[in-house]
Amino acid sequence: MDNSGANIDLLFRNGLKDLEVLPPQGVWTNIKPVIRRKTRPFVLLRSAAMIAVVVSLAVLAYQYSRQLVVPSDNQVIAISEPESPVLNVNPLTAVIASSENRPINIPVRHEVIVAEESTPVMADVQKEEANIYLPVVSNISIDSDASLPEPVLALYRGRVLEFPASEDLKSEYLTDDNESVRTQRWSLSALATPTYYKGISFAADEVTRQLMASEQARVSYSGGVSFSYQLGRKLSIQSGIYYSSIGHEVGGISAYGGFRQFDYTKGDPNFRVLTSSGTIYTNNSDIYLLDRSGERVLTRYTADVFDPVKSDLQYLNGSLQQNFSYIEMPFFLRYKVFNRGIDLNLIGGLSYNLLINNSVYASSEGSRFMVGRTEGLNPFTISSSLGMGMEYSISDKVSLNLEPTFRYYLNPFTQIPGLKTHPYSFGVFSGLSYKF
Amino acid sequence: MSDLKDIIKGCLAGNRRDQELLYRRHASRLYAVCLQYSGNDEEARDILQEGFIKIYENLVHYKHEGSFEGWMRRIIVNTALEKFRNRNTLYRVDDIEMITESEAELFSDDYPGLEATDLLNIIRELPPKYRVIFNLFAIEGYSHREISKMINISEGTSKSNLSRARVILQRKVNLFTGLNKQIVNG
Repeated sequence: MDNSGANIDLLFRNGLKDLEVLPPQGVWTNIKPVIRRKTRPFVLLRSAAMIAVVVSLAVLAYQYSRQLVVPSDNQVIAISEPESPVLNVNPLTAVIASSENRPINIPVRHEVIVAEESTPVMADVQKEEANIYLPVVSNISIDSDASLPEPVLALYRGRVLEFPASEDLKSEYLTDDNESVRTQRWSLSALATPTYYKGISFAADEVTRQLMASEQARVSYSGGVSFSYQLGRKLSIQSGIYYSSIGHEVGGISAYGGFRQFDYTKGDPNFRVLTSSGTIYTNNSDIYLLDRSGERVLTRYTADVFDPVKSDLQYLNGSLQQNFSYIEMPFFLRYKVFNRGIDLNLIGGLSYNLLINNSVYASSEGSRFMVGRTEGLNPFTISSSLGMGMEYSISDKVSLNLEPTFRYYLNPFTQIPGLKTHPYSFGVFSGLSYKF
Repeated sequence: MSDLKDIIKGCLAGNRRDQELLYRRHASRLYAVCLQYSGNDEEARDILQEGFIKIYENLVHYKHEGSFEGWMRRIIVNTALEKFRNRNTLYRVDDIEMITESEAELFSDDYPGLEATDLLNIIRELPPKYRVIFNLFAIEGYSHREISKMINISEGTSKSNLSRARVILQRKVNLFTGLNKQIVNG
């Protein structure tokens, strides 16, 4: 019987050894979309940041070039401006430039004088070589092109035009502008961003470097509400409250479920996992962890005394997800570089971050299984931020914001000596602002 | 070998072409393994699909030690076992007809005309539990102790099921070869 049994075993073993059967066509079609393409978030976000910078610089250059260069075949008007901020000299001297194509400089602060009556200004101007005297009806401070009608802007920019200075127009566009600038000092914004997060280690030891090599940044998110107060024409302060969730994936550690029946100890964590952010302590006795590529998992249930496969544990995932949530209070300064159709602001400052949630979990088929928490984290961190805010006014009070922001944590992420990991993150905040 | 390393490296980098190349090279061999462990083509297809996804996910852990095909085969077998464990409650081995020891006398060393595909078809006709135990013991080389832990049965059950599986297989082989002999002899 035994020999016969061995014979039948050999018959099948040898007979099936080299058997190949072509699988159905649809199998690869189903596998293909499931396989995770290796993501390169850092490269993508760096590219996004570069594009944002280039676009911003291009917009900046375009706006300034429009100020500095005037088309050669146009007659141009330079509106002289006195040193004093308010022009109330009457009559105003409107200087007609000669036929030479001189570029003109228009000062950053603009006082526009508008004719009282409906007069085809340029037509007259083109006929006369001498100075023209126009009666002054009002003085306007221009803070934004968007707040002025096209005819006024065109005059201001030196274009050839007809100027319908009707009473309606004056009352609609020219009367309350000073007042609105004075009153709209406050701004309330709601912003959110996906965040790319990564750590920089200043530790020289090999262990930390190896730990970091096995960890991959996760795309996290940040969002909240901020308010700003305008201190001057260009400078404002900003604060608020943000919620941010960051973390990373600790690779090479297999998590299994169903371990509770084999766990004969009570109280103490069964597993400890070394990471660059601190040590993970398990608090779920149903979880079994196994490091297949190193010795990061410290446990009494090592692979030589316990085999999760033979014990029929349920395989969950080959990595752990570390998640940290913070409440942030930013204190930023915003400096307005220019304020054309799209405002450009430089933003910099510090944020105070309070750790409010710290969890580690394993994912399997869309479900999360709690593993434990990371010990040794700094509960309070300070981060510095530098960003560039682009602001597009949808209306007088509402604007659309886009703020690529780089953030660097000034103090180490963990309190554990030797693990001097300083995270940094990059995100493009987007949202709406309301001025009042 | 270096070619294989390049393909693995490409797969790890997310290169679709290398991922497909890996599949094309090994799918037919591994699909045969899936068929060995499954009673129907649909289940075999699922095992191959899930197994390959695990292979891609775990390539990062492959240390280039030992046979790569053996490493992939283990993943496929484990995937088949997972499926078996999930469905195990549906199968009742006790209902299978009792086989008398006397039938063991039918064992023979002469198997004319048996092709690999015939062996595959015969093994797939086994009841699920017998099929898994026979595969794990006779083909993969696991001990009864290991099999008992892998599919959560006692060692005695593993031994008795293997014995029954062998008798069924031998009877089917004899039947097949007997028919062949009859056909050949006219």
